[in-house]
Amino acid sequence: MAYKRVERMTAFMRINHWVVAICMVAAVVTGLYIGHPYYQSLIADPAVDKYVMAWNRWIHFIAAIIFDVSSIVVAYLYFFSRFEKPYKKLLPTPKNIMEFFLVFFNLITFNRTKGFDSSHGDSFNAVFFFVFHLLLAWMLFSGLQLYVHGLAHGQSSIGTWWPAMLHLATDWTVVVCGGTYMDVRIWHHMSMYFIIVWVMIHVYYQIWRTIFWQEGDIGIVIGGSKFVKEN
Amino acid sequence: MGDRREALAKMFTAKGGRVNTNRGQAYYDSLMDMMNRRLLELEAMPSASRTSIKSVLEAEGLNRRDFMKWASAATAMLMLPAQFTPLVAKAAEVMNRVPIIWLELQDCAGNSEAILRSDAPTIDELILEVVSLEFNETLMAAAGHQAEEHLEEAMKTFNGKYLCVVEGSIPVGTGKEWCTIGARAETFEDHLRHVASGAAALVAVGTCATFGGVPAAAPNPTGAVGVQDVIKNKPVINIPACPANPANITGTILHFVLTGQVPELDHLGRPKFAFGYRIHDNCERRAHFDAGEFVEEWGDEGAKNNFCLYKMGCKGPMTFNNCSIVRYNEAVNWPIGAGHGCIGCSEPQFWDKYAYERPMADARIKAPTGGVEKTVDEFGLGLLTAAGIGIGIHAAISMAAGKKEGDA
Ligand code: HEM
Ligand code: SF4
Ligand code: SF4
Repeated sequence: MAYKRVERMTAFMRINHWVVAICMVAAVVTGLYIGHPYYQSLIADPAVDKYVMAWNRWIHFIAAIIFDVSSIVVAYLYFFSRFEKPYKKLLPTPKNIMEFFLVFFNLITFNRTKGFDSSHGDSFNAVFFFVFHLLLAWMLFSGLQLYVHGLAHGQSSIGTWWPAMLHLATDWTVVVCGGTYMDVRIWHHMSMYFIIVWVMIHVYYQIWRTIFWQEGDIGIVIGGSKFVKEN
Repeated sequence: MGDRREALAKMFTAKGGRVNTNRGQAYYDSLMDMMNRRLLELEAMPSASRTSIKSVLEAEGLNRRDFMKWASAATAMLMLPAQFTPLVAKAAEVMNRVPIIWLELQDCAGNSEAILRSDAPTIDELILEVVSLEFNETLMAAAGHQAEEHLEEAMKTFNGKYLCVVEGSIPVGTGKEWCTIGARAETFEDHLRHVASGAAALVAVGTCATFGGVPAAAPNPTGAVGVQDVIKNKPVINIPACPANPANITGTILHFVLTGQVPELDHLGRPKFAFGYRIHDNCERRAHFDAGEFVEEWGDEGAKNNFCLYKMGCKGPMTFNNCSIVRYNEAVNWPIGAGHGCIGCSEPQFWDKYAYERPMADARIKAPTGGVEKTVDEFGLGLLTAAGIGIGIHAAISMAAGKKEGDA
């Protein structure tokens, strides 16, 4: 049987993927510390020497900023990628809806049916990733709302426009979450678990595809390509 | 839903907690003119109350210098330039021209108590003593029909001019008939609507009057709400906290005396001069927060060393109030200084969402469905377990019955 190599992720997309994965771990580890500091700083040192919480918050924000930039880039690629434009697979056209369900049936029939072309990114995948990007965007908005609480004076090192813009962009999260700042915090924390669940399913599905489709799917995120049977 | 939409609209129109304190000479000149005119007008009016700030200060052994020191602090608190100090002093002197009707609704009278019971009253508290309290259910000697007559008379005499100060929440739910007042058994809601009808503005004092406070805590048996939820057609100034800081009450009334207007408010209707600060950003324990040094249990080594109270449930990071700056009792101390975390008493729904002695991450919170109380982490681990089991089942069936492409 002959196999054909198909390019699925450019080098840039793969780098982006691993940067996001590392940021994710960093955000979870530091976020949980922020929510409930789970290790003790050494009491013997004076406070100015350690900055344990401050470093955790710093890493959390840096992970967040890299996330920010990456999601803006990904959002751009949705429409303007010279490679595959994901939004084309997201539009609810009859063809895409059909494909979505075919891939879904493939998963729940344990690969006993496979009525779609698995050489290119499919609609099921596009929707699945879209959910992730929505979750990320939600973390961004709720996280930036928590962040702007520290800028009550309305000033920042880069000017008054920054907190003003953050208020404009994220104040709706307070109302949506239930009316208090604490609700935003609860939802920010809880949404972390939705993201972790998403990651678990994502990793499982990639491994499952690799084993059952026998097309080397897991290699996409490392070498950028997979193999599909020729006829 | 309608309420939420309204809250959303409000948020988008509020400009954050920022107060512009640099508006240029022309602005402050015209403001000063306007205040001067208003104070002269007030001075010409007969003083409604018999006590004057001068006599009260003298009785407490305070002199003019103490008073002027207070006035310059109050000027700074109102975010006015220093040349306004004489005007603020003057406003305090003519404050007894502005009639006030003080209602006591569903509450513990803690705000009145905090002002009245201090054994060394601050100037803020003394000023509240000389305002012309035309009617106050807690303080007045009259009762029954006599009190009612008194209220009607005050409302008629000062129609459209008086400030209506409200302490306590308003029950509007099924339990509202449990709370009535006066010989005609008016419900609190009707009573408030009646008195508000002739008021120039309303001042909700304390968290019960602003957001429902403790009476509104789950399950809120009386359907308690704040003044702003009942009175929609008058300006309402919210001065939450439990109790409200007398400095903030005086500041707000001073502002009204000086300008005849409501001070700049934030999206929750709180004066920005008082609630534009986050506790956490002005807390003396903040260095310990950044260092990761926390009190782990009451009375431990960390507590003795004034470590951060975050792990004991301090909600300073989500609470906006100026008690870390103006403090209480002539700036002697404040809750965190005394060793207990902030319980977010100036925020909406504080009793349910802030007032527990552990970080939010460890608190048992009602699920959105109203069911069992779980911590976020318990809920999250449940979710992860469910996902793990789902994946396990799918993997097991795939192994047993799945079809690999390679298999023929
Ligand atoms: C997937 C990404 C993220 C995860 C898993 C995550 C997780 C968490 C967790 C668990 C907390 C603790 C909440 C608590 O229990 O009190 C937290 C706090 C916080 N997060 Fe995130 N977060 C993420 C992204 C972000 C982003 C994008 C921002 C944007 C700036 C952000 C800003 C914050 C802030 C400001 C806090 C509160 C810190 C404080 O008040 O000191 N987070 N995060
Ligand atoms: S005691 Fe509270 S307000 Fe002060 S630094 Fe710690 S968390 Fe912040
Ligand atoms: S420290 Fe917090 S709970 Fe205490 S009075 Fe101030 S705002 Fe209220």
